[in-house]
Amino acid sequence: MKTGIAFWKKEWMDLVRSGKAVLLLLIASLFGIMNPAIAKLTPWLMETMSESLQETGLHMTEVTVDAMTSWVQFYKNMPMELIIIVLLLGGIFTQEYQKGTLVMVLTKGLKRRSVYLAKTFMCALAWSVCFWLSFFITWLYNDYFWNNGIAKHLITTAALFWLFGLWIFFLLVFFSAIAKETTGVLAGTGIILLISYIAGMFPKIQEYLPTKLLEAQTLLTESAVPGDFYKAIAVVLLLNIAAVLTGMILFDKKNI
Amino acid sequence: MNMLEISHISKKFAEKEVLRDVNFAVPEHAVYGFVGQNGAGKTTTMKLILGLLPAGSGEIFVNGEKVSFGENPANCSIGYLPDVPEFYPYMTAAEYLNFCGAITGMEGQDCRKRTEELLELVGLGVEKHRIKGFSRGMKQRLGIAQALLNRPKLLICDEPTSALDPLGRKEILDILVSVREQTTVLFSTHILSDVERICEQFAFLHEGRILRQGSMEELRKSCGEAGFEIELEQRQEAEKLMEYFPGGILQDRTSVYYEPGSGQKMEGVLAWVVENGIRIRKAEQRGLTLETLFMEVIGR
Repeated sequence: MKTGIAFWKKEWMDLVRSGKAVLLLLIASLFGIMNPAIAKLTPWLMETMSESLQETGLHMTEVTVDAMTSWVQFYKNMPMELIIIVLLLGGIFTQEYQKGTLVMVLTKGLKRRSVYLAKTFMCALAWSVCFWLSFFITWLYNDYFWNNGIAKHLITTAALFWLFGLWIFFLLVFFSAIAKETTGVLAGTGIILLISYIAGMFPKIQEYLPTKLLEAQTLLTESAVPGDFYKAIAVVLLLNIAAVLTGMILFDKKNI
Repeated sequence: MNMLEISHISKKFAEKEVLRDVNFAVPEHAVYGFVGQNGAGKTTTMKLILGLLPAGSGEIFVNGEKVSFGENPANCSIGYLPDVPEFYPYMTAAEYLNFCGAITGMEGQDCRKRTEELLELVGLGVEKHRIKGFSRGMKQRLGIAQALLNRPKLLICDEPTSALDPLGRKEILDILVSVREQTTVLFSTHILSDVERICEQFAFLHEGRILRQGSMEELRKSCGEAGFEIELEQRQEAEKLMEYFPGGILQDRTSVYYEPGSGQKMEGVLAWVVENGIRIRKAEQRGLTLETLFMEVIGR
């Protein structure tokens, strides 16, 4: 445990001193500000475009924006933030394989599962901080400009998307225990995501799939109820536990 | 007691057999030279000892503890110095050693004290910059410090001098000599002069097999007699000597060299020279160096 914490501290130092921590916070803040900003600017944009649109025969009516416009934008932008963070952390293991830094650490008697767990925790932490920071900033602006009260199940919706992101990072660490290069890690994660999307075409299994969590924003307008997502939540939790357990076994037997 | 025992180890990568029935033992407090050409299988052997690769067959024991692939408890007794050690560039030398101490379970104060001692030993005591600005020699010295941090019973050095300039090599060898009383050293290299300088015992690895092992004396005995050189006053005398004792090589007009295995004995040749009243300028037995021994063993 103590040695695992020491390794996690090293991960933290890596994130801070490599500048990735600042970059992640900037990205999260930017994505947080972007949603209310786009919502706020939409009427002005429409107004400036209305003249040119009128020339083409299109007539603009008055556009009203509220907190819901901003939250809809939030869930449109979040996959992009998720992809950026995945790209930034995709080499969390593979960079160590390529440089040979992990060999030095493992030959000092550090347990491989401590390494695996420390890196999993680091990814989960980075994603959680970034996601909830973006969420908090958007919430703050929305509450200042409009009224967040019109969006229902706000925290539940956010938690479901956060859980989906967490699953992606557990996959990323899992594939890092198998692949030697970042492209392999990203390809493995992408393929599983693709399979989940394709499987979503079959209505019978749709509600069990992790990608079901991406529909969480339907809760905001009460087009769905939290119970609709329970099966997907259970599956994601089980998949995360399975990813950690099998990932640790595979990493134990990896040639480094 | 043997600190390291390697018994009937074999290893294949796909169809290529890298190690074939390798056996050797390193006694406690020895500085053991593990000699072989590039590609002979030295690094693979080191990785097997460290549990970083699975062995095809055979067993390895470090300090009486069996080495296992993956989780290797024996690593707690081992310090490892690779040929090009890689560190986290954003740390300082002291931070890296403190980090290594923490992951080996050393207590805070002991770790800090040991870090200071070792940085002093390797000449990095005053270095406050981050590792990313270190030269290769400085990295190698830090590599030794991290390998010695947890007072290992076995120090494995995998070609630690191969990437260094002569001055850097000397520094590393001096440090290894200075720690020989505290630990057992397995020193793998293809630079024979380095290994000859600091090691008492040797194993020659060639194409995945241990061809010879033992002390210098034992290796010399196993390779037969040394060669010898007789230098006379005149060329005609040297030629006469070669006629009477065939197998010699004429060198510098008046000097005759008999290689090991030429079949001639120095005592016999000298007796004949004296009997014939020939004056001798020089008579020298040429000791077998590690290089000549190695070349002879691998058949070059």
